[in-house]
Amino acid sequence: MSPRPQVDHIRKPQILSAAVEVIAERGVESTRIADVAEAAATSPAGVLYWFESRDKLLAAALTFAEDSFYAQLGDRLAELNNPRDRFVALIDSAIGGQDWVLWIELWTRSLRDPDLARARQRLDDRWRAEIKAILLAGVASGDFEVVDTERVTLELAALIDGLAVQTAMGDELVSPPIMREICLDVAERVLGTTLDPAVRGIAA
Amino acid sequence: MSPPEAGATVEDPGEPSAAEPSARERILESACQLVASDGIDDVRIARVATRAGVSTALVHHYFSTREDLLTDALLHSFQLAAEERFGEDPAERVERATERLARAIRTSLPEPGESEREWVLWVELWLRAVRDPSLQPVAAALYERYRSWLAEVIQAGIESGEFEPVDPGAVADHAMAILDGLGLRALLRDPNMDLARARRTIAGLLGPELGVDPADLLR
Repeated sequence: MSPRPQVDHIRKPQILSAAVEVIAERGVESTRIADVAEAAATSPAGVLYWFESRDKLLAAALTFAEDSFYAQLGDRLAELNNPRDRFVALIDSAIGGQDWVLWIELWTRSLRDPDLARARQRLDDRWRAEIKAILLAGVASGDFEVVDTERVTLELAALIDGLAVQTAMGDELVSPPIMREICLDVAERVLGTTLDPAVRGIAA
Repeated sequence: MSPPEAGATVEDPGEPSAAEPSARERILESACQLVASDGIDDVRIARVATRAGVSTALVHHYFSTREDLLTDALLHSFQLAAEERFGEDPAERVERATERLARAIRTSLPEPGESEREWVLWVELWLRAVRDPSLQPVAAALYERYRSWLAEVIQAGIESGEFEPVDPGAVADHAMAILDGLGLRALLRDPNMDLARARRTIAGLLGPELGVDPADLLR
């Protein structure tokens, strides 16, 4: 008599959490459903119950990781009360983010899979909305001078993506502190402001 | 010119060359084509061999594992592109720095055809390099070559008085990162970013930084 898969006892978050770890470590292509199942202390059927394919699992895993990222970011931003500090906190969160490997997986697979391309678009829309909200608040408060927030948001998002790739590759010339410096340099230019030198870690 | 190997077909190498490409080069070129068309994960040694007009045994002779073949194919592609792009003779340089930079921007983005194919491989290299430390020095070296080239163009513009006296390395850093970020979005067919918009966005960012009219970077 074969055992019934205990799907009702396994919660989705457990599986997603395991998927994030396994995919980050092995890459999607080398990730088997069985690997995720083992990491989540369930059976392959338990994983497949929720996610019918590896690609769907990738999209869901990154979404789950991003949910966690935004929760932490939200907590951090709630402690700050001016747009400049919030903007710097946003940059720091992005640089310190653990999701970059998953993003790169998603980008690569989006090249050939329209469903993943749509998932990427949704996740990117969310990230850009986060950036834009801080820009708009800064414009409203007079801290930032931005004529076209949509364009500046895209510039910053693209800059961060490009730098994150080099940092994720362990390029010494774009270490996390250097990435931070470059982001803040460009940000000052496009936001029409200076960001607090004390916060920037350079001698005033 | 040496005769083709037994069983091999003479294929058009795709670009003019003084000598017929070697079997190893044909294998690498075929692998690159299949990576771009099928995705790196679906490339099979047998198909590479067929396309290159060689036996699978010969492929294995040159490349111990499939992973070795794929890695070398990516690197081969980028090294060729780098030689073509960065190998120009300074004596033959007649363009102003502004035009050279405008051209650098345009050719660095995924234009349809060869350029887009190269971009797909570039993204595949990122994916492998973030997880495989053995690829990181080569990836970093490719970036450094590109960075130096951009910085040199910017330096030339400063010396000729076309650009303001900025830090060439810093501007090259900005340019590279934003070219990667915007190029990726254009490649992914992001509705917010096509090639034309990518070029305008980069010109809009670099122009003011260098003290030139963004329109001059769009030629």
